[in-house]
Amino acid sequence: MSSKIKHNQYGYLFVAPFILGFLIFGLYPVVNTIALSFTDKTLMSATSSFIGFRNFQNLFADSTFMTAITNTWELWLMNFIPQIAIAFILAIWFTNTRLKIKGVGIWRMIFYMPNLMMASAVAALFFSLFSFYGPVNQLLVRSDILPEAVDFLRNPQIARGLVVFIQWWMWFGQTTILLMAAMTAISPSLYEAAWVDGAGTFQMFTRITLPLIKPVLIYILVTSLVGGMQMFDIPYLLTDGRGSPANSILTNNINMYMKFHSSKGHIGAASSVGVIVFLMTSAVALLIFFLLREKHSTGKEIKEK
Amino acid sequence: MKRISIILSIIIVASMLLSACTKAPEVVETEAPPATTEKTVLNVWSFTNEILTMAVAFEKSHPDVDVVYTMIPMTNGEYQTKLMATLGTADVPDVVALEAAFVKSYVESDFLADIGDLQKYADELKMYPFVYEVGMADGVHKAYAYQATPGALFYRRSLAKEYFGTDDPVEIQKLLADFDKFIAAAEVVKTKSGGNTYMVASNGDFQNLFFANREQPWVVDGKLTVDPMVEKMVETVKLFRDNGYEAKANQWQEGWFAGMNDTLKDAEGNPKKIFSYFLPTWGLPYVLAPNATSADKTSTTVGDWGVVEGPLPYQWGGTWLGVMKETKKMDLAKEFIRFCTLDEENLTNWATGVYTNEYLKAIDPTVPEGQSQAAGDFVGSQVVVEKITAGFDDSEMSAFLGGQNSYGGFAAAAPSVNARLMQGSDDAIQRALNDPLNSYLEGTLTLEEMWSTWKDAVRNEFPDLIIN
Repeated sequence: MSSKIKHNQYGYLFVAPFILGFLIFGLYPVVNTIALSFTDKTLMSATSSFIGFRNFQNLFADSTFMTAITNTWELWLMNFIPQIAIAFILAIWFTNTRLKIKGVGIWRMIFYMPNLMMASAVAALFFSLFSFYGPVNQLLVRSDILPEAVDFLRNPQIARGLVVFIQWWMWFGQTTILLMAAMTAISPSLYEAAWVDGAGTFQMFTRITLPLIKPVLIYILVTSLVGGMQMFDIPYLLTDGRGSPANSILTNNINMYMKFHSSKGHIGAASSVGVIVFLMTSAVALLIFFLLREKHSTGKEIKEK
Repeated sequence: MKRISIILSIIIVASMLLSACTKAPEVVETEAPPATTEKTVLNVWSFTNEILTMAVAFEKSHPDVDVVYTMIPMTNGEYQTKLMATLGTADVPDVVALEAAFVKSYVESDFLADIGDLQKYADELKMYPFVYEVGMADGVHKAYAYQATPGALFYRRSLAKEYFGTDDPVEIQKLLADFDKFIAAAEVVKTKSGGNTYMVASNGDFQNLFFANREQPWVVDGKLTVDPMVEKMVETVKLFRDNGYEAKANQWQEGWFAGMNDTLKDAEGNPKKIFSYFLPTWGLPYVLAPNATSADKTSTTVGDWGVVEGPLPYQWGGTWLGVMKETKKMDLAKEFIRFCTLDEENLTNWATGVYTNEYLKAIDPTVPEGQSQAAGDFVGSQVVVEKITAGFDDSEMSAFLGGQNSYGGFAAAAPSVNARLMQGSDDAIQRALNDPLNSYLEGTLTLEEMWSTWKDAVRNEFPDLIIN
């Protein structure tokens, strides 16, 4: 009996590295950020003082902050909806045993490829392609599609469109692979049984596939949400790192970085942006969990059936 | 047995932890000679490998010192971030290099030591005033520079001959002596070239010029202030855009560089030319000369450039050196700064190309291949400049400028530069103006909207600034 308890202690030893790592690199920064957000601390002065909610008051009085929040949501939603739609279609095609698409591995690799590229390289590529003296202008003007060269990256709508496209292009392969993994894990016998019972493709999708991949779907939604709320590298590198033109691609994290990176390094004010993003993301993630939670079957459902 | 496995698992866990804690090699550390025990170590941080040359030269005259040189690039602000993060910790270096964009925030802070006893050397060498004025806050000297960086105007000789009938710098300076003349000349360039030659490549080229000639700094008594010169800048760039005197390129981007080697083409493929560029001393060896020949070597403008003072005196960029207050080697750190910035022999060697790779390798065989300092950097001491100017008559740089000795030109421009208005917040405030200004030039914002958008952006970065 006593030896059994001792055996269990090994478990603690093996999870210790993670727990310690989480406490030091996960929990401590979060707590510290929250603490900092109530101070006027800058990196260039040794002292700082507690200023209560003043950082937050400044944020909500500042139109730039609200712009950043709406931008972040819009940019994320505009790339996530097509991303999950396309990923679903591709995943269904690739896993469909009746379609038997050839070279699934190669397609999957090609779609995943953009994700392997460094964000800075991708941003530099698009930045050169769409610059005023760049190849896209040359092509469009010489083939008479445009009357004269357009400064694409000075146009808010085009700049946004590019960010959305790049984010979509870099991430739909990843989402496809996750969905495919979830779909291939479903036993084919379920589909065979459904088929024998006379179910159509759409019915099989909504009654078998969707419920069974729900945990993966929640995972994709939440990770994409967390990533989307922290969107930084592409919009930062595509233009001047300040969300230009006209703050159209200014995201939360660029806003936070600008505060941190200003000549004095206002980390107190920057932390307050981080805290708001943290609260917002947590709230929405919890809402997703709540809406997509496993509904316990009550006796009523069975009776109805 | 059980005990052994417990011990083993503890060891595994501990080793995992340790490996997780060891610092990742995120910076390029170039250790000048292998650290021996009796040598005193001096930690120097910089954002280019330029000062490594001086550090090696310093070891020649100070054989008992080991300068440990750490280079962190500042492309996306890594250097500033890393430096800010070490402030007040034990990792802080002894000597730091500070670039023009952020030198003032450090000079204004409490982190740099008072090194005012070096001023007597600065007076002896007749340093250009702005070289040490930038390093001053409240009358205390905290940083010195080895370079002076007065600005100039570089123009294409062949185009000058075509449009103005002369390529003589003296005549060209007369034609461009103030902004009204500069605008009139831009009109001549446009009409005579049929709109195919632009006076300047980008609107950004003008900014340093006007900002350097303000009478009030950006922040007066904690309040954001717009000097009339800033309004004049906005007016001028608008005029250049609306009249087609400016090529709509962006500084530091493709079109801007293409104009330097005459390969600029508009979207339809028509060749376009740029008449002139506003660049400072370092712009010649580091920007203009390397870009004067196109990548495929088919087009070159080498030898076709002339340099004049231009319509307004200004300065742009520069590297300052300061001592961190926490250093335990104050005297040595000061001596290093004296050697780098206020030593006649070193400055002469630096400017005249004495520090070749072989020279440095002889002092320290571990110096990287290619580490050297070519002749031509404009140094901050009037005494040195006067002595060496004549030596540049037949240099490579003079050949690039069609025989003109640019060193002499810079020497003439340097004394009229002042940098008293520089403040720590300048860089961020000026950057914030770029986007609204461009929207105004494109006509998507009115002048009024431009100012208010800019003020919002400044407010976002400086929570404690008063903005009306």
